[in-house]
Amino acid sequence: MDIKVKNMVQPSMDGMDLSVSPAKRMWILAWNSAAFKFGFFIFGALMLTALVYPEFSSVDPTKMNYRARLLPPIFVGDWTSAHPLGTDQLGRDLLLRCLVGLRYSVLIGVTTVVLMFILGCGLGLVSGYKGGVIDTIIMRLTDAQLSIPMIILAIAVLGVSRPTVPAIIIVLGMAGWPLYARVARSVTMSERQREYIRGERVLGASDWRILFLFIAPAVLPPIAFVAILDVARMMIFESILGFLGLGVQPPTPTFGNIIADGRKYLINAWWVATMPGIFLLVTLTSLNLMGSAFEKARNQVLKGEH
Amino acid sequence: MKLDRRNFMKTSAMAGVAASLPVLNTAFFSSDAFAAQNKPITFLSAENLTGNWDPTAHTALSQIIFEGFVFGYLTRAPMRPDNPDEIVFELATSMKLLDEHTLEFKLRKGVKFHNGEPFTAHDVKATFEYASGPDRPAQWYPGQCKVEVIDDHTAHVKTKEFGYPASLFWFLSAFLPIMSAKDVADGKSLTERPNGTGAFSFVKQDGNTTVLEANKNFFAGAPKVPGVNFSFVGDATTRMLSLLSGESDIIERLEAEQVETIKSNSKFKLNEAVSVENKYLWFRCSKPPFNDWRMRRAVSHAIDRDVLLDVLGVSGTASNAWISPVKFGYVDTPNYPKYDPALCQKFLAEAGFPGGKGLPKLEYITSVGFYPKTKEYGEIITAMLEEQGFNIEFSAMEVAAWGDRLYDRPGGGPGHMIDCGWATGSPEPDLVLRTHFHSSSKRITGIVDPEIDAVLDKERNALDPAERKRIIQEEVMPMLAEKVPSLSLFTSVFIHAMRKELDGMLIYPNGMLDATSATNS
Amino acid sequence: MFILGFLTRRILQGFIVLFLVTFAIFTLLRVVPGDPARLIVGGMAPDNVVAQKAEELGLNDPIPVQFITYLGQLVQGDMGNSFLRPKSGAIVGASEYDDPTRGNRAQVLDLILERLPLTLQLAGVSIVFCLLIAFPLGVAGGLRPGSWMDRLAFFAGSLFVSMPNFWLGIVLAMLISVKMGLLPSIGYKGFSYTILPAFVLAIELAPFVIRTLTVSIAQVMQEEFITIAPIRGLTPFRIVFAHAIRNASIPLLNLFGIQLGTLLGGVLVVEYIFDYPGLGLLTINSVLQRDFPLIQGIAIFISGIFVFINIIVDLAATAIDPRLEY
Repeated sequence: MDIKVKNMVQPSMDGMDLSVSPAKRMWILAWNSAAFKFGFFIFGALMLTALVYPEFSSVDPTKMNYRARLLPPIFVGDWTSAHPLGTDQLGRDLLLRCLVGLRYSVLIGVTTVVLMFILGCGLGLVSGYKGGVIDTIIMRLTDAQLSIPMIILAIAVLGVSRPTVPAIIIVLGMAGWPLYARVARSVTMSERQREYIRGERVLGASDWRILFLFIAPAVLPPIAFVAILDVARMMIFESILGFLGLGVQPPTPTFGNIIADGRKYLINAWWVATMPGIFLLVTLTSLNLMGSAFEKARNQVLKGEH
Repeated sequence: MKLDRRNFMKTSAMAGVAASLPVLNTAFFSSDAFAAQNKPITFLSAENLTGNWDPTAHTALSQIIFEGFVFGYLTRAPMRPDNPDEIVFELATSMKLLDEHTLEFKLRKGVKFHNGEPFTAHDVKATFEYASGPDRPAQWYPGQCKVEVIDDHTAHVKTKEFGYPASLFWFLSAFLPIMSAKDVADGKSLTERPNGTGAFSFVKQDGNTTVLEANKNFFAGAPKVPGVNFSFVGDATTRMLSLLSGESDIIERLEAEQVETIKSNSKFKLNEAVSVENKYLWFRCSKPPFNDWRMRRAVSHAIDRDVLLDVLGVSGTASNAWISPVKFGYVDTPNYPKYDPALCQKFLAEAGFPGGKGLPKLEYITSVGFYPKTKEYGEIITAMLEEQGFNIEFSAMEVAAWGDRLYDRPGGGPGHMIDCGWATGSPEPDLVLRTHFHSSSKRITGIVDPEIDAVLDKERNALDPAERKRIIQEEVMPMLAEKVPSLSLFTSVFIHAMRKELDGMLIYPNGMLDATSATNS
Repeated sequence: MFILGFLTRRILQGFIVLFLVTFAIFTLLRVVPGDPARLIVGGMAPDNVVAQKAEELGLNDPIPVQFITYLGQLVQGDMGNSFLRPKSGAIVGASEYDDPTRGNRAQVLDLILERLPLTLQLAGVSIVFCLLIAFPLGVAGGLRPGSWMDRLAFFAGSLFVSMPNFWLGIVLAMLISVKMGLLPSIGYKGFSYTILPAFVLAIELAPFVIRTLTVSIAQVMQEEFITIAPIRGLTPFRIVFAHAIRNASIPLLNLFGIQLGTLLGGVLVVEYIFDYPGLGLLTINSVLQRDFPLIQGIAIFISGIFVFINIIVDLAATAIDPRLEY
């Protein structure tokens, strides 16, 4: 399939087979860019390592070793150390903690963003397309939600029960969806004015058809960026909750609580809080690479159409 | 009016400037290059003050420390491990037990309160009678008492009417701030402005900082520094950074790693002192499964306290009793529960849960952010208990949520085990023992055990201090070791770090500070 | 005339939003565990004192009744008194016992207004920093997609977004205040104490501004009216500033309205880390101490600011691009 696609799109992108739908062409273009492949490769490799390595490692990520606390990474201290990234304040292997943390953080980040995305975009699309009273109601609800500080929401929800991963996802999702609603709405509003949409309407296309077939794809790219950045932001919010004592409870490691717990040791043992940060950086950069490849592909496809 | 983009940009930029204008002040980029001879001491407290200045209205350690600057005490207790019973006279010049129920204080002459009123036996009377009232929340007094004013500088504390020995005030005299009789009578001024005889007087509250100035009329001579700024900063790292960047002079509650940093920096020095605070694992004794003493023993034998101390490093020290080694009556309890997995399994089996089978999920609650390393050692304790087959749900909560759950309530407090420390600024052991283990109190554990009650009553009513000490050491502690209503994990070591230039600070084992002869250049 | 109608409508709607928010916050805070009466009188107070306090505060009434009472006071500008803070504004622990002789409680509104200027200063400076950082990167990246500047913008965004604010705050305080002694940062004694915290906030906000700028400028640059602009004889400089930035400013404005939340979240943590005595520190402390009237007051106050700023944002966006009638 790979070869076929390559033959089809290269070298002239704009003049490619127009029988393929724009959305599909966008995918194909994105897939073929070096940035996307690179990002995809890094992200895939990270996730694969995170899923496989801890299973086959002889060490348990929650296993403490009181004698081996705060050992530095091998490139700082002892090259013969059994802990490549050093150990944390309880002598647990930091590499393992980071990898298992990556699983949970990606889970929290992605699920939260998907939740916000579905909720926010759905409302935003309807709001922007319908306008009038519906728009006003939805937008005021958005404003109301937007102006409730996350921390208040967090203590209300997380204070009631023991903070668990689903509870944290719900809090973050509830605090974040208005952003998507607003962006989706503003894109929808400028999009519905375009000729081709008007044309469709004249041709008798139903509202839902227009909304999902024509407007929704246009909403996706500008939000894709926000969404990708938000995966990162959600991971960081999760750590802020940990910082406030409202985070995921031990022994479950997440980037957030490793960083939050390691902050105390920043002056003496910088690696505890910094290593998960580097993992976070690499993860996000790979996600970002994929996202921006998408954006470029979209621009190319749009350009070809006009 | 039509807003175009340029106007909008301009006006919004202006709004930004305008918003920040009112607070711009002349201290812009100022530095303290012209440091005076002696600067006021800025102390960062790890805990907040209560905002109600009445010393009988709180049990907050921070405020007890604050009171140490402003108020006078009849005596002071240096509480050093080598001589825990030592008493130094301050507002009193002598203390004598006249009979079983009468303690006589001779008072220092020529002492004045910050508002200019002279200090007399009437103030002692007002303080003792008010503060020992059963409705006072702090409840530091062993019971109500009456004070007889013999003359302006002699007072007799009487306890006959209330049925306990007056000797209990011997050590407590070091812990009870003396208020002015006028303030006590008025009530309102007591809560609104601290007024004592101490070396520093209250000036104002400025945000989270309480500003104090030197008391020129202090009976032992005016302090050398012009004042003290008592400031609350909740985050340990922030306190550390503040000290390191020269914003503050002395900080408290350091953890092991921070001590390392200070040690490697020649501009700062440390003070380490064994404190009056023990940290405990409290069991909810009034509900299953910990209403069974064998379950409590099983947990106690599953915990290797050496490991906890290893993680705590310098901020904890080993002790084997329910009171700190600097308190009256401390003993290395011979039968203190030791780490012994076999014994743990034996008790588990006897309680009907061999290998932990059949046990419900047990919740272990701790706080994060106030005490050093609670989350770290909490995770360790959880791991140790799970190794023995317990099924533990560990909850590390922010301080307010933890505080909500701390105390006993009818039917047993929340969770099954909870972490908390207890520090009182007096060698008096009943401030811990009776408070926590007597059935009349039920503070955290909710324990009701007639045998424990009996030894606690026997100890309190002993007339001779030597006899009382013997009962505590040979009867109370061994009994607690048998029944473990709570497990004392270790004794905290209070560590203060300060600038090298700050000299002559006297630091008490409950964290109280005496800056009377300190210099700070 | 249009503006006037717009304003009236939006302000009216703003009040409805505020009402919704007030109700939501009020209800949320009553669901939170932690008996306010118990909190006020302290953990050691006898049960009858707790019950008496609850009665006194009207906590036994049904929630709608309590809400209407509160609303009635709110309309008169009275946000109630802090549970725990005395007039002097000092922080108060939850462990002590209230008694009738105690000094007066501080007005919530006074506490907020006292702290507000410092937080506005912090937010203002950080927005300036943020624009200073983001504009060159974002515009350059948007003009030349694929160039090294675009990559720089991209990696700067990735880097900034993956640094938790408390991590960056501690590291900067460590390096700049402690190691180099260049800028003071812990506490507040003058304007210079604002710079580091504001910088940390700016770094937190910058990635969003950079991305939005890059994306929308790149998009706008491909539009027909831009591609034919040189034919109309416009210089590249004018094209960028007259058209591209103008068009990019709408998503940017929307972003600002929305990222106020991020800014606020950042303010909370940054003020706590730097011991900066603004609204954020007040919020964290009141949350940690469950000072409900204060939390409630702050939340409603902030919501008010949000609503107000979002009206301005929409107004400005409409002024820039009249297609977006609201």
